[in-house]
Amino acid sequence: MKRSKKVALMLMVPTTTMMLASCGEDPAEAVVFSSPEECASMVTQVAAEQCYADFKAAQVLHPQVAPKYVNKSECENDFGAGQCEPAPQQHASGSFFMPLMMGYMAGQMFNRQGGAAPAQQPQQQERPVGTSGAVAGTAANPRNGVRAQPLYKSRDDRGTFRTANNTPVARQTGPVMVRPSQVQPRAGQFAQRGGFGAQAAARNSYGG
Amino acid sequence: MKRVETTERPQWRDYAESVGFHFHTFDGEPYWDETAYYQFTLQQIEEDLEEPTETLHEMAMDLVSEIVRDAEKLHQLAIPEMFWNHIYNSWTNGDPHLYGRMDLVYNGTGPAKLLELNYDTPTSLFETGFFQWVWLEEKIRRGELPEAADQFNSLQDKLEEAFSTLSLPQPFYFSSVSGHIEDKGTVDYLLDIARQAGMDARYIAIEDIGEQDGQFVDLDGYPITGLFKLYPWEFMVQEAFGKAVRTSNTLWLEPSWKMLLSNKGILPLLWQKYPEHPNLLPAFFEDSSEPLRNGWVRKPLFSREGANVELITESGEKVQAAGPYDDGRYIRQALCPLPKFRDAYRNADCYTMIGSWVVGDSAAGIAIREDNTLITKDSSRFLPHIILD
Repeated sequence: MKRSKKVALMLMVPTTTMMLASCGEDPAEAVVFSSPEECASMVTQVAAEQCYADFKAAQVLHPQVAPKYVNKSECENDFGAGQCEPAPQQHASGSFFMPLMMGYMAGQMFNRQGGAAPAQQPQQQERPVGTSGAVAGTAANPRNGVRAQPLYKSRDDRGTFRTANNTPVARQTGPVMVRPSQVQPRAGQFAQRGGFGAQAAARNSYGG
Repeated sequence: MKRVETTERPQWRDYAESVGFHFHTFDGEPYWDETAYYQFTLQQIEEDLEEPTETLHEMAMDLVSEIVRDAEKLHQLAIPEMFWNHIYNSWTNGDPHLYGRMDLVYNGTGPAKLLELNYDTPTSLFETGFFQWVWLEEKIRRGELPEAADQFNSLQDKLEEAFSTLSLPQPFYFSSVSGHIEDKGTVDYLLDIARQAGMDARYIAIEDIGEQDGQFVDLDGYPITGLFKLYPWEFMVQEAFGKAVRTSNTLWLEPSWKMLLSNKGILPLLWQKYPEHPNLLPAFFEDSSEPLRNGWVRKPLFSREGANVELITESGEKVQAAGPYDDGRYIRQALCPLPKFRDAYRNADCYTMIGSWVVGDSAAGIAIREDNTLITKDSSRFLPHIILD
């Protein structure tokens, strides 16, 4: 036979089941630590390695997601004196500034199922991370939908850990319940867009 | 090879819509056309189309390894110098390639002749791999075609196999120009097959791709590690993000070395390397403003869907297709006219071209296009085919 044994469509055919995944969202358990040492002191040897991996993943994310300010004083205005550092990104007249990372949050880690996302989850929910290097394999895989990420403390509310998007998550270290979609780190502030596609507008023929 | 009139399946349009084939009719004109089909013998398919497709593919691939090292040829193909390195690396690293389509002239006898390679952004994939397959199954079930009827169309099987075996980075993104329903249909189909192969496959419009510190990022700012783009390389290298292609770690489908093959300049280079090959037509780079002679075709290096192609028949009749690709260099190719068939349903003559698919390095099926003129265009009708001895 010279033809395919079967042809099937999974996504192009509308089904009702596909829609169910996005309705409602269960809170997920996460843990907040101010340092990997604090985390390691509370868990078994095996899990301690996870503490450092999570911390490292959060550190990698920190310069990407932290709020950025054009100068240091504006940053300190929001986060307090001595609480800001230069960001790696540059603007025309120098570096951006961002708050120091005051802690980190990771998905619940004590049931060691790790980052095995259900294989055929239709919509995103879980978001395997595309960062490179050692973090991509382990710590960056979100457990129960919560990605390891940096936390910050604002000047006027030093007691509260907040995500980079200013969502308060905890007043002390330890376990917390969060809605994964609300603590999804977004790193797009500095991306330029629209750099592809210009000629599609100029010409109207491109497939083939 | 013959053209056989047949009845349309009732309600096929409703079915087409239900599976996302919204472009079955374009501007009120039929695109998918099942008022007829083409019938081939197994020998015609295997000896005249399948085998030559793989031979031509091998010849083209051999030529790529020469071109990436040859400044003169890269100049002839108008490849911007700043991308030579990327292309060389992408080729020598063995960056994977997914698919391509070569367009052939074939009338049922004699060697098929290569018109061009669509090796970067070929479309009409869903129509070939899915819709004409379903058409055949239904025609057999309805008793309108014999059980023994087959089709040269392993496209979906081979694409699924490719997605399972290429070990592409994930999540893997599929991209097309936003608002273009035909391209979106092609990309949706590929994305669907990739998901069926177990990949974490996602869509992003080409205009929504972000660039940050020399890396391409998705809408959430995460690096795009793998990207299928139904958008021509020759456009990408000219656009604002072109520079970042060189610094990004993105794995591209098709890879950047496909720029060499989707280029009409490959036709004269093939003819230079394999002169008088039975599946090739004489072709030359245009080096003067010498008027086009009878029996010759003029094509821009970069052009798609017949745009800006101009030809003069042996008898001196001039045929040309308008288009937006009038800003570059041209090649000339000897004219081998498409075979003419009679469309009794429309009471008109039609000219038929065969698109022959390649997945990885294997021939994977054919797509048939009919036009009222000698130049096949994006508006040309798509007809199904069968194999029956």
